[in-house]
Amino acid sequence: MVNPIYIIAILLGSAFLIGLFQKKEKGLAGILSVLALAFAVFVSVSWFIHFTSGQQEVLQIFTGGARPPFAINLQMGLEESLFTMVINVLGLLGFIYLYRDFREEGIKGSVIFLVLMMAMNVLIMTRDIFNIFVFLEVASIATAGLLYLKKDFRSSAAGFKYLIAVGVISSFLLIGIGFFYLHSGTLNIDTYLQSNPTAVKGISMAIFLILIAIILELKPFPANGWALDVYQAAHPGISAMISSGTATASIYLLYKLLPLSSNDWTPYLIAIGLITFVGSNILGIAQKNGNRLLGYSSIGQIGFMLTILGLAPRLGEHFHFIFLSIFISHFLAKAGLFWISGIVQKQNIKEWSVLRKNSLLLFMFGFFILTLIGFPPFPSFYGKWQLIMELAQQRFFILIVAILAGSFFEGLYLFRWFGKVMKGEEEKENSLVIKWEKILPPVLFTIFAVIASYFLNNASEYGHSLNLIPIYFIILLFLLDFLPAWIKNSLVITAMVIYSVRLYPLIADDSLRLIFAGIFMLGGILTLFAGYSIKGKRAGFFPFAVMMYAGLMGLIEAENLFQFFFSWELMTLGSYILILRGKKSLIHAFNYMLFSLGGAYLIFIGIALSYFGHHSMDLNILSSSTMPGWSYSLLAIGFLTKTAALGLHIWLPGAHAEAESDVSPMVSGILLKGGVFGLILLFLLMGAEQSEQHTLLYVLGWLGALTALVGNLLAVFQEDAKRLLAYSSVGNLGYILFALAFMTNVGWLTALTYSINHFLFKTLLFLAIGGVVMRVKTHKMYEMGGLIKQMPWSFIAVLIGIITLAGIPPLAGYAGKWLFYNAVITKGWYFQGALVFFSGTIAFLYCFKLIYSIFLGQPKDKFRKVKEVPIWYIIPQAVLIIGIMIFSARPDLILKPLGNMLAQSNYFPTDPLSWENVTASTNLGYWSGYKIMLVIGVMFVILLLWLMLMSRKAQKIKQFNIVYAGERPFKPETTHFSHNMFSHYYKALGFLSLPLATGFWNGVNSVTHQVADSTRRIYTGNGQTYIIHILIYILIVYMLMF
Amino acid sequence: MKYLGLEYITVIAGFLLLIVGLWGIISQKNIIKMIISFSIIDTSIHLLLVAIGFIRNRTAPIIDSSVDKLKAADQITDPLPQALVLTAIVIGIGITGLMLTYALKLYRQNKSLEINQYKSLKW
Repeated sequence: MVNPIYIIAILLGSAFLIGLFQKKEKGLAGILSVLALAFAVFVSVSWFIHFTSGQQEVLQIFTGGARPPFAINLQMGLEESLFTMVINVLGLLGFIYLYRDFREEGIKGSVIFLVLMMAMNVLIMTRDIFNIFVFLEVASIATAGLLYLKKDFRSSAAGFKYLIAVGVISSFLLIGIGFFYLHSGTLNIDTYLQSNPTAVKGISMAIFLILIAIILELKPFPANGWALDVYQAAHPGISAMISSGTATASIYLLYKLLPLSSNDWTPYLIAIGLITFVGSNILGIAQKNGNRLLGYSSIGQIGFMLTILGLAPRLGEHFHFIFLSIFISHFLAKAGLFWISGIVQKQNIKEWSVLRKNSLLLFMFGFFILTLIGFPPFPSFYGKWQLIMELAQQRFFILIVAILAGSFFEGLYLFRWFGKVMKGEEEKENSLVIKWEKILPPVLFTIFAVIASYFLNNASEYGHSLNLIPIYFIILLFLLDFLPAWIKNSLVITAMVIYSVRLYPLIADDSLRLIFAGIFMLGGILTLFAGYSIKGKRAGFFPFAVMMYAGLMGLIEAENLFQFFFSWELMTLGSYILILRGKKSLIHAFNYMLFSLGGAYLIFIGIALSYFGHHSMDLNILSSSTMPGWSYSLLAIGFLTKTAALGLHIWLPGAHAEAESDVSPMVSGILLKGGVFGLILLFLLMGAEQSEQHTLLYVLGWLGALTALVGNLLAVFQEDAKRLLAYSSVGNLGYILFALAFMTNVGWLTALTYSINHFLFKTLLFLAIGGVVMRVKTHKMYEMGGLIKQMPWSFIAVLIGIITLAGIPPLAGYAGKWLFYNAVITKGWYFQGALVFFSGTIAFLYCFKLIYSIFLGQPKDKFRKVKEVPIWYIIPQAVLIIGIMIFSARPDLILKPLGNMLAQSNYFPTDPLSWENVTASTNLGYWSGYKIMLVIGVMFVILLLWLMLMSRKAQKIKQFNIVYAGERPFKPETTHFSHNMFSHYYKALGFLSLPLATGFWNGVNSVTHQVADSTRRIYTGNGQTYIIHILIYILIVYMLMF
Repeated sequence: MKYLGLEYITVIAGFLLLIVGLWGIISQKNIIKMIISFSIIDTSIHLLLVAIGFIRNRTAPIIDSSVDKLKAADQITDPLPQALVLTAIVIGIGITGLMLTYALKLYRQNKSLEINQYKSLKW
């Protein structure tokens, strides 16, 4: 093993040696630097391997020929080897990244960079306090020196502010060190700790100064204006070093020095960290400059790490796992993003859409953003989960809320950025110059993050319970993204078929799960068929489609809450990106993500609250929550964001309507059932016996009824066909919620029938309408009309769809209605029931509008030559229609086992349906789908024959044949009444469709932005203000502590 | 103790200078004056460090004719703070030098040494 002191010797020696070079020998200087940095990587990596392969003994390195406390000693243990390793790897890659920029400057850059690296290595290894001061100063000088190399004057100003601020901070550090020595007689950390120090006023003051100085180096909010300016002004390659490198060294320093203090820093670190995390992320919302935004995010993340450090005593054995998970995500992602920023070379985050010119960069950008936010399976997810659960066990509920609030704000600006990059305005100029040395470091960091995820998953408490096959399949799809779409589509469909076959025996006994698995898998396969109509590669579609389906299936398979939440997040992420693919989806996908993110965090808190007092993560703990009111409500609201309950619905219409033609049925017919499944799981486990549950269900019942009313009403007033269908989904999900809230056998059968129906007809309708929209290139129904001749198949599909939707016999919608009446009457919720019944009537209006405006009336000139939708749209529609027919004629095939299961497994034993062959009966009456089908079928045939008989003399006429009309139409539009079709109803009921929810959320949004924008003005840009912030900060913490 | 000991005078002077320096750094708009204030802070800390190592009635920690080599530990003041001061001086010079370089660069670029002229980076 190479003695780690050689890291310092080689780095410093190379720096001195290069200093002697002539300017023209800069090539040699570069090579020497790379070699020196590679040597440092080699040494620290070999020590890390040494320690991780079972070696325990920490290496002490003595300098100056004497033992401490007479000389400085360095230490190399597991922690030191890990942190020097990550820093040296960063240094090597960071240098390669900056190589070309340094070359232009001659040799200066290389020298300073090597000195910076040396300083960071010493900071991690040293055990001497004064040495810490020296090398902090060396690091500051080196950083300021690197800033100096950039010619821009803003960079110089930032560098000066940085120097002044750091100078003041280290003055306090030095005073602290001096008095520490005065009282303890040593400068060595270990010697001091071994001497069993007693707390005297003087020494606690000295240690306070030392620790507060290190904390200030970590840029706590709000005493961090100087750091933000540096992040913004510096070369991104240097910002990467500061954000991931210097901050790492400083936080390790704090970790190392904390034991010195006999004061309990726990509450202070937690508070400082959380204020920084939440504050910095809120201010980030108003930020438009990419690098400065990364700075805010960086500071926020470091604050988060400070909190975790403060919580260390409470987290016990989990501390290291949690800290590492958060740390490594920040470390990799922030360096990666700064490096990408250097390639993009744009200030405003809007202009980052230039990344779309290179799919690798785009992928990495998305990857790092998601790593920061902590979506599964990215590394920080595991730590965050563990942290929240540990906090819940110890009743730190306020902390949970604060952490998740901070994460939410961070998610807000990161997703907005992400959206702008993916879908924002195209950059005109082709200015993306990519050099190999700029792209290599982020690529490697992406790979490291994947590896880190793998290890964290294995190390996490519940990670082994995850089914990672879908994740590997998603990675495979990313690698195969260059193939044509039809190959990938076939691959995905095959995989889903195989997966379903494998899964079936596992859940065959559980009708409830079987139904939802059927919806997710069958629906997935069917909707993917439509994708065959798309030519080309369809880059980036399939991995996310699979991600969504994998998430949905994960919900079904979940045996514990970790798996459930993991899958929930996976589903959210996949669906978000699918929605984002639509042409005008930017803002809608963003809204979807905000509600989903908020909802997911509420679910997270709900799970944490339920976990309190338990020792397992099993799903069953939901049935014995010690805080039923809070945990169940939060979980319910979280699920309701996905099912778009009234008030939380505003994202849905845009997201569903603007998605691609084959994505709309996926996210409407299928994805919404994910939320329904969550509710079902929750309701099943929580039961309805206690008063809290009772109240919650009563409220949810009302919410469902109102959602049904408003959703349907809004659908009536839409001119956009897909929006109409989307609002109709809101209404339908309202029915489902309402029926679920009954918590009776028939009520649940109603809800499940509605769920199956909604899947069948909404997928069918979205496929049919999506196909039409694809052909006519408009969503506006009044611009269509008379398409029945061109698209007879689509007409039939829509007709079947709306008959099912409206609940007209003989199709399955009627089954739902019949069950619904039974359930309402048994339950006694007459008033709400009447509301829902009334909304059902409203549904007739939009169903009529849908079919009339699009297919009937006078055809428009420009659509005379449109063709029927592609065969790949017709196949899934045909299958769905067959499905509707079977379910309509033989509902017993599904409902009977389901009813039995609900009755037998003690969920809802009372008042089940009784079945006699295909006839179902309750106390109130009986119904047979099969007989109704027969009766209606016979009536239909008789009437059809009658009609044909009567009209055998009828004569076909052309559109503009005026012989049979009162007057001659000038243009087709004048003969087709479909614009503003229900304006008379609007006069009566329009007040119910006012965008109150949208207004409310807009208000919340603008208040948040106002707060963020006015608060960030504390960073005046004046260096002296920053110093005052620092002084006040020290004073306040001091006064709180002593 | 009939008179104020040297170490107390040094400590008091050190703290006074510290306050003067801090005040200067937040009140003086001129960058050169800010740098001078920083140097004052530096000096104040050096004074404090020296005072920490001072032990009355002892001589400088230099082993020469005035010190008995065998009893050196009882005759000299604490050498460590003095070593620290030397290091701190060197570092202080480094930082001050770099600050002055920045001042020069800022002046060359903008023809101004007023700190509140450099506020283009903010919020």
